[in-house]
Amino acid sequence: MILWKSLIGLTAIALTCGLETDATAQSARISGLEDVDFGTLVTLSDQSRSQSVAVCSYKNNPQRLPYAVTALGSGTNGAFSLASGPGTLNYEVQWSDSPAQTNGIALQPGVPRSGQNNAATGFTCSQQADTASLTLTIRATELATAYAGSYSGSLQVTVAPQ
Amino acid sequence: MTKRKIFAGAMSALAAAAGFSAVPASAATQGTLGATSTGNITITASVPSRARITGLADISFMNQDPATAASAAQNVCVWSNTATKAYTVTASGSGAGNGFTLTNGSTAVPYSVSWASSINQTSGIALTSGAASTSLTSAATNQTCASGPTASASLIVGMSTSDLGAMSAGSNYIGTLTLLVAPL
Repeated sequence: MILWKSLIGLTAIALTCGLETDATAQSARISGLEDVDFGTLVTLSDQSRSQSVAVCSYKNNPQRLPYAVTALGSGTNGAFSLASGPGTLNYEVQWSDSPAQTNGIALQPGVPRSGQNNAATGFTCSQQADTASLTLTIRATELATAYAGSYSGSLQVTVAPQ
Repeated sequence: MTKRKIFAGAMSALAAAAGFSAVPASAATQGTLGATSTGNITITASVPSRARITGLADISFMNQDPATAASAAQNVCVWSNTATKAYTVTASGSGAGNGFTLTNGSTAVPYSVSWASSINQTSGIALTSGAASTSLTSAATNQTCASGPTASASLIVGMSTSDLGAMSAGSNYIGTLTLLVAPL
């Protein structure tokens, strides 16, 4: 009797551990993001600002997974645009799956770009160094016709394991 | 995992107590660990007020009949990026005290400068050398009027018969007119 109870108890524990692992099988995190201030745009030439970010994408801790990145702006229908009263200033978004880059693949609002390589596993995610780059560019053609004023907007970046 | 979070939290508390700032203040939000992760950043930029004048052409009153007043009008492009598209224009000549005069090296002859904030005009507001005009509004939508309206203002330069009559025949007179536009 005692032996059977013990065996049942051990089995229950094993099943519980297995369920917790499956629930968190695929995980992602993006960090290291910083606000972007283009400052006063006096020069009528393309203006770019780049930053390195950290992305983790993994399964069951040891397995790295590629990820898809999606960007959404604060303009109409998620457009990448800044606003100042009635005026708008459009910008472009580029992503690279390597850090310290100043260009990359062009992102379209709300459109996932898959196949981004990831360097982090679940074991290393919490201490992960930068693994990707985000670049924002305001073109000279936009500046040439922009109304004077202070512009602002926001950009949402989502990463999802594939 | 839990132990790492506590360790990081303790370090942050110690850093704060010591007066050190681990990271600069930011409105950016980082993504949390999950099936997907989303972060947000704020983007800001400032565009200064600007104005531009283009489409100017030299003016020639060569072989002008002194019995007929001379007048030359030209369409120019003035663009302003302010919300009202307003600007002022200030003219200055190459004569003494920036006067509107032409000279043959020994004699100066005056001319007049007028401005209109619409195209195809042959008269306008008289400009005084060095004095900004009243506020004017541009219809230009492109810095050089390369798209939209092809011009947005009229520059009119004239010489009276009395001034023409004072000029020496066969003598060339020359001068420079400078136009400064400023956004409002």
